[in-house]
Amino acid sequence: MHTQAGAPVSRRRFLALSAGGAAAGAAALSGCAMQVSTGVSGSGETVTVMVNSGDILPEQVQQAKKDLGIKIVLVKYDITKLIAMLTSGNPPDLVRGVGAEDLPFFAARDVAENLDPYFARSRVLKEDDLDPVNDLWRYDGRTQGKGPRYGMAKDFSQDSMYWYNTAAFDKGGADYPPETGPVTYEEWLDNAKRLVQRKSGQTTVFGGSFNGLTRSTLLATMTAAAGGSLFNDDFSRVDFTAPEARKALAWYIDYCKTKVGPSLIQPDPNGWDGPTFQAGRLAMSNSGYWLGGMIYPDKKLAAVSRLAPAPIFAGGERISACQGGTGLWMPRGAKNKDAAWRVFEWFFGEEPAKARASGGWGIPTLKSLRSLMPAQEEYQKRVLKVQENELKHFSVVSFTPYTRADALDALFNQIAPAAMNGQISVDTLAGRLNSAFNEQMKRGKEQVG
Amino acid sequence: MTVDQISSAADRSSAATDTGRAPATAGPRISMTARRHRAFYLFTSPWIIGFLLLTVTPMGYALWLSFTTFDGISPNWKYVGLDNYRELLNDPVTWGALGRAGLFAVTSVPLSIIAGLALAVLVNRPLKARGLFRTLLYLPAVVPPVGAGLAFKLLFDPNSGATNGVVTFFGFEAIGWLADPYARYVLLMTVLWAAGNVMIISLAGLQDVPRELHEAACIDGASAWRTFRSITVPLLSPVLLFQTVTGMIASVQTIMPLLLAPLGDTSGITTVPQSNYLYMMHVFAQYFALGRYGYASALLWVLFVLILIATGLIFRFTSGAVFYNVDPEAKK
Repeated sequence: MHTQAGAPVSRRRFLALSAGGAAAGAAALSGCAMQVSTGVSGSGETVTVMVNSGDILPEQVQQAKKDLGIKIVLVKYDITKLIAMLTSGNPPDLVRGVGAEDLPFFAARDVAENLDPYFARSRVLKEDDLDPVNDLWRYDGRTQGKGPRYGMAKDFSQDSMYWYNTAAFDKGGADYPPETGPVTYEEWLDNAKRLVQRKSGQTTVFGGSFNGLTRSTLLATMTAAAGGSLFNDDFSRVDFTAPEARKALAWYIDYCKTKVGPSLIQPDPNGWDGPTFQAGRLAMSNSGYWLGGMIYPDKKLAAVSRLAPAPIFAGGERISACQGGTGLWMPRGAKNKDAAWRVFEWFFGEEPAKARASGGWGIPTLKSLRSLMPAQEEYQKRVLKVQENELKHFSVVSFTPYTRADALDALFNQIAPAAMNGQISVDTLAGRLNSAFNEQMKRGKEQVG
Repeated sequence: MTVDQISSAADRSSAATDTGRAPATAGPRISMTARRHRAFYLFTSPWIIGFLLLTVTPMGYALWLSFTTFDGISPNWKYVGLDNYRELLNDPVTWGALGRAGLFAVTSVPLSIIAGLALAVLVNRPLKARGLFRTLLYLPAVVPPVGAGLAFKLLFDPNSGATNGVVTFFGFEAIGWLADPYARYVLLMTVLWAAGNVMIISLAGLQDVPRELHEAACIDGASAWRTFRSITVPLLSPVLLFQTVTGMIASVQTIMPLLLAPLGDTSGITTVPQSNYLYMMHVFAQYFALGRYGYASALLWVLFVLILIATGLIFRFTSGAVFYNVDPEAKK
């Protein structure tokens, strides 16, 4: 039936037309919003890279266009946007990710590209030049650290290492921690208790901060340091009641209870240790080597800042893991993989990598770039010596592929404050964490198949 | 053709259509009613298309998701029927978050309406520099929520914030404002701080109250409070009802605690103190931290229905107390 020209539009027909228009509009909008990788653009190729601001600088984008002939389009990293782009079949060509926690999740869901063939023929990124930290980006379908490479870390730190402020130690009358051997976690906490400064109930100087990158990677690392494993063999369950995991959990809850440092029940409004340490209001910070990038430009701060090895548990293993290993991975659905790989090589092995290495913001992930780490000043040499010694104890602590670390943190943060406030025991907390974590991972395992 | 001729032709055409007879003149003619219909649909179509595209479609999609275990990217998600809704009913965390959101709404809405009305009454008086005061009081309402959140975070920093500076100056112990149990009060303060929004609407309502009624009450010897209670408030009741309904809807959907999250960054969405873990924070955590798109969608649909019920109840229980100053003839 055709509507006559000029005849009134019926409500039914109008709604049908509107719905049609809406559907067409939705399709068009979806196409506009998601179609970010065009593959070829003008004379050169275009590669879409989803990163945080500062990961790739605008001048580096210009330089890449000049040197590689590839146009880089930067998209701000956002997990929901990434999922939308992956779901719609138009993912970015390269994506930022935290190797320690993101890689197993994405690799297990088969959305990450196996980069082994690219590494095999690369003249920039050679297998024997790759630092072991890049194993965080390997996954064999079961365990992180083994199998094909899905990405690479841009730089790294051993995140349980901690910086300390010698002025705060002098004021607190505590001995400086040894630079070659580790203190125990108990000794670290004793120091923090001694160094904390309070006035009228206000903490003017935190004794120490020990929160890790996420609570779940921190607890996994600490459990490994205590000689155990937070996850079972197939990474589908946790057990906080196991002696090693309980030891780690009890220590962390004790740290929060004593309020010597920032935690859920005593938040630091700065959100992270950097500004607080810079202001001289933090005696120890477990931030790892990368904090040097913030410390070195401030000569006064650099003069009183030293790096110490990761603590150990009495009787436990000396391990010093990386809880981050932030880098890039390539989605399987990337439209322009060859050009993306060229950008990958440039980002990890050429100018940007060299600039990062000399900035002190992290340890380069290519052994050949180690010589660029800052060592001009006396304090830099000292830090470097401690760091080089610590590298001997590096290890990969595998994470579960069945959920993201954020999810476990969300559950931890809901359940743990009661224990931090002394309302429930560590054993009760362990039981509750087991239930919540295992339920979340069970759902993830069902979905991965 | 003159305007009168056009008008009379249109009327003839309209009359012919209305009586079912064909128009007297040959060729397709458009009746006045049809023209009105077409104009209505043409002018409202941008909104209707937007509504279908941006409201109905996402809501329908969310409804579909609420029957699945979809998590964004995992390959083996499945249709689970009402499982998400069943889980929701048995989830103490959901009920806790809903209860806190309800408590927050019943506390914050009346307080902000009272604060806004009090401010409106003050700046409705013939004061010097009244415009300046109105602007200053309204300013917090236009400050971006992120800026306000950061400012409050620094202001209430337990160790170096100005608030504890004052508290300790008077010899009291510092308070951990950003953690439990005090975080809820900081949240409430952020809402009250932006009461300028309520003030502006109340002010518009106050200026609509006929002055002669106040004068008559004054001549009759009524006190200022009596005049306010018996004349101003009843005449303002539609405005107050509007503020109650929109305030309730906004408060149960608040995500301001996110801005007060102490640890920030990616885990910021989940580090909200327990007392500020309201329903929308729970939804947010389910979506973006736990990746449970299906369950979170079910949570949103339940919230939608609860808001509808709450709105209906508010209308029902206030129907006798709201005075609509509408000319009955205008309803025709």
